[in-house]
Amino acid sequence: MATSRKSTSIKIGNNRDIPKLSKALCERMLADLEKARRPMLEATKCSLDNAVYNPKVGFLTPGDKKVRSELNVSSVQKLSRAIFFLEILLRNLETGAVNNKRELYYIAKGECKHNKDLKPLDFADQSESDSVVDFITEMLECYREELNVFANDRGGQTYSKNLIVTEHMADNEKAVVDLGSLGTSPFQPKNKPQSFTLKAKKGKLDFCLVVESEGTANTLVSNGFTKRNNCILMGAQGVPSNAVRSWAKTIQDQLKIPIYFFGDLDAYTIQNIYRTLKAGSAASLIRNADFSAPEVRFLGVLPEDIKKYDLADYVVNPKDAAEFRSLKKAQDALKNDPFFKDKKNKGVTHVLNWLIKNKRRCEQQAFFMVDPKDPLMPEKIIIDKIKRGEFL
Amino acid sequence: MASKITSSSTAEYFSKNLQQVGFSSGTKAVLTTLKEAVDNSLDACEDAGILPNISIEINKIGPGTMKNMDTIQVKVIDNGPGIAPDDIIRVYGEYLASSKFGRGRCSRGQQGIGISAATTWGQLTSAKGVNVISKTLKMKKAISGTIEVDIKKNQGNFKNKETIQWDRPHGTSVEFFFDGRLQLQGEGGVLTYLKGTSLVNPHLELKYKINEDEEVFFERLSTEKIKIPEAVPPHPHTLKLGEFLAHAHLFGQSTVATFLKRGFSRISDNTIKLLEKSGMPKGIANRSLPKTSDSDLKKVYSAIQKTELLAPNTRSVLSIGEAALAKSIERLGEIDFFSVVSRKPRICDAKPVVVEVAIARFVSNKGDNDDPVTVLRFANRVPLQFDKASCAIAKAIESVNWKAYGLQQPKRSLPLGPYIIAVSVVSPFIKFKNASKETIDSSDELVEELRLTLMQAGQRLSRYIKKEQRAADLERKLQHIEQFGPILIQCLGRITSAPKARLEKANIGLTKLLGRDTDAAESKLQDAVDKHQKLQERIKIRRGAKD
Repeated sequence: MATSRKSTSIKIGNNRDIPKLSKALCERMLADLEKARRPMLEATKCSLDNAVYNPKVGFLTPGDKKVRSELNVSSVQKLSRAIFFLEILLRNLETGAVNNKRELYYIAKGECKHNKDLKPLDFADQSESDSVVDFITEMLECYREELNVFANDRGGQTYSKNLIVTEHMADNEKAVVDLGSLGTSPFQPKNKPQSFTLKAKKGKLDFCLVVESEGTANTLVSNGFTKRNNCILMGAQGVPSNAVRSWAKTIQDQLKIPIYFFGDLDAYTIQNIYRTLKAGSAASLIRNADFSAPEVRFLGVLPEDIKKYDLADYVVNPKDAAEFRSLKKAQDALKNDPFFKDKKNKGVTHVLNWLIKNKRRCEQQAFFMVDPKDPLMPEKIIIDKIKRGEFL
Repeated sequence: MASKITSSSTAEYFSKNLQQVGFSSGTKAVLTTLKEAVDNSLDACEDAGILPNISIEINKIGPGTMKNMDTIQVKVIDNGPGIAPDDIIRVYGEYLASSKFGRGRCSRGQQGIGISAATTWGQLTSAKGVNVISKTLKMKKAISGTIEVDIKKNQGNFKNKETIQWDRPHGTSVEFFFDGRLQLQGEGGVLTYLKGTSLVNPHLELKYKINEDEEVFFERLSTEKIKIPEAVPPHPHTLKLGEFLAHAHLFGQSTVATFLKRGFSRISDNTIKLLEKSGMPKGIANRSLPKTSDSDLKKVYSAIQKTELLAPNTRSVLSIGEAALAKSIERLGEIDFFSVVSRKPRICDAKPVVVEVAIARFVSNKGDNDDPVTVLRFANRVPLQFDKASCAIAKAIESVNWKAYGLQQPKRSLPLGPYIIAVSVVSPFIKFKNASKETIDSSDELVEELRLTLMQAGQRLSRYIKKEQRAADLERKLQHIEQFGPILIQCLGRITSAPKARLEKANIGLTKLLGRDTDAAESKLQDAVDKHQKLQERIKIRRGAKD
């Protein structure tokens, strides 16, 4: 890393013509080398210390910090790998081939195997090639999907009796999906850019419920939640993938209905799941505008629900490495995460403080214990909470 | 009916509890016997101002009398001053007959138990006492015979006593036959003991022969005679009330003031005035000690505890010294790096202590990075080889963050790597956990002093490791330039479809650019090599100065 002559740095704008941008970047590097000047690559620093929370936009945006890599003996390996990988990705874009990161790791290994000159670049494990792909996306300020690098689909299974999704395909075809006609199958957004138009079949939808646990989401649907309520119900399946995040944003922006998040009451859920869904993540600062739904509200489980519904909760065991790490991360978040430091989110910050102080946790499934004989009790509580405005 | 109460002799007690003094297994029996004999030889030589020559022979001569045991012969011959005829029988045949008991000197032996216990073990397992030959300078002929312990009476029996011609002006030879198991390597191994002893005794000339193996000879590395500091009276803050009263009862005819001034260190006339201010009854100082009641003595004791006294004198402590350690560490094997630290004497738990540390890396095991380091522990220059985990030294090593000095270290464990960490604690009052002197009790103050010394040695080690790492890092960078530069140009050329001429020009530019880095890298590398050489030369000079 170095910070010297700005004149040689290559700035990438918001123009997303990736092949053109990449070629310009390589052209600048080559020109610098011809003049025996050190080329420098610059990328936005994607980490919490460069995250800014603007309550007006509602998601984490990048600050001014940049990561600069100047060509020298220390960085020559990193830069060679980056340009080598860029060549592979440009080839994919040209041919329309797509890959996930694991496949790219093996493609890179194959290239190194078949060309002995490239042997020094060989990758010992996937984390090495992943970091190169991430560096390229940060350098070009683009999504990895724009480089035809896709993640596996995860989460986002969506149910509704009153939602029609129209997908606009690349070949100008349209695919219209009536979620009410899918029977027991859900609609699932893909982990790649998709263009959707959403509308209610009749009137206006009342709300969208995002449930942390995929299993609980399925149970609610099986018990008739979407039949009785004019809503959309989506399973997040843990930490929301890009697909879940952009799908939630699409629902928020196009349908303009309230979105509620229902999940566990613990530090991990609030920090890693709810905050990512609502405001994006530090690792994806340059993409949060498209991958966050700032209008999402935290429906529960809330600390007061434990008392109100007499829910079973658990003591967080500080000797359990994962739970201890989670509490430690929560403490760090309160100090360093701009999302939790902003007064707009004081409700959720208060819950995080409560969790650290009381060292207790309560799972979303605890609503099933309120009346064990009534399978609809969780639904009743959720609807009741929405009606009473018991959310953050 | 109440059972009859009997009393036992000291010898009877120890003969039934030999496990308490280092004879709890066959392996320990061999090591303890050898250790006691060598300790006695070294102590005797040092007391007499003689540079020690010790010759050791250990043989497995057949099956033992007990199950899974062998009959072991251990023979130790020294050039010490020899033992006067009247004393021989007491040294080897009587418990607690010691010239060293409680005298406050840094001698290896302290209580006069060990060697008599070795005689007893031989008697119990092979029905043989210890064969002794000894000659002082004044004697024309040496005395030879076998000594056995009369367990009922705690006194020695001298059998086959005769005078013989001996080929040396003075010295002692002892030979034991007993049941044991001969372990050579590892923490409880005989070779580990012998190497350890040679490490902390650079003035020792040692020959040893084990079974049919070739004789090994350790040349004397220092001709400086060990000057054992004079004994000092105990510091009053180190005594418990009972010990204080016993000391007063045994002191004899004198006044209380004389008892305090001569019986303890750091008490003067001025201190006695301070004691009176702290609650010692006035006039008691001039009273006759035997006529002073225990309740008054308790008041004196209480006043002493309330009064601040000077810390104990540290002149009574002996150190091996950095130069001597630096020389003898090569006796352990071929090493490519070492650092030694000898701290000044400090007061720990109101007792003077010297801690010395040597760290070395073996060339032969250089790639061996997954095993814990070898730890050698010493107390008053005697290797400690058992029960490492509960020893203050091991605790101190584990408490240091070795990662900061470039070593790998699992949490709260010994660091890893082909290193040896030798730690010596010398004090006239070492507090052992047991009578067999296997582990040092870990008080907070002692552990802290050990930590500081280890950290100092670690800092020296880290300077060396960092230089090595820098050299390796620079080498790696130089390789990077050669390997990755051409790839970068080729990839850029393909993406931009640049003509060959441009690529050649870029190649020249890249060579120039990285050439600057190469020059700088080579210069840094050379700098690191030069610094390393200077360090080696300094070590050589330091060691040479002591030759």
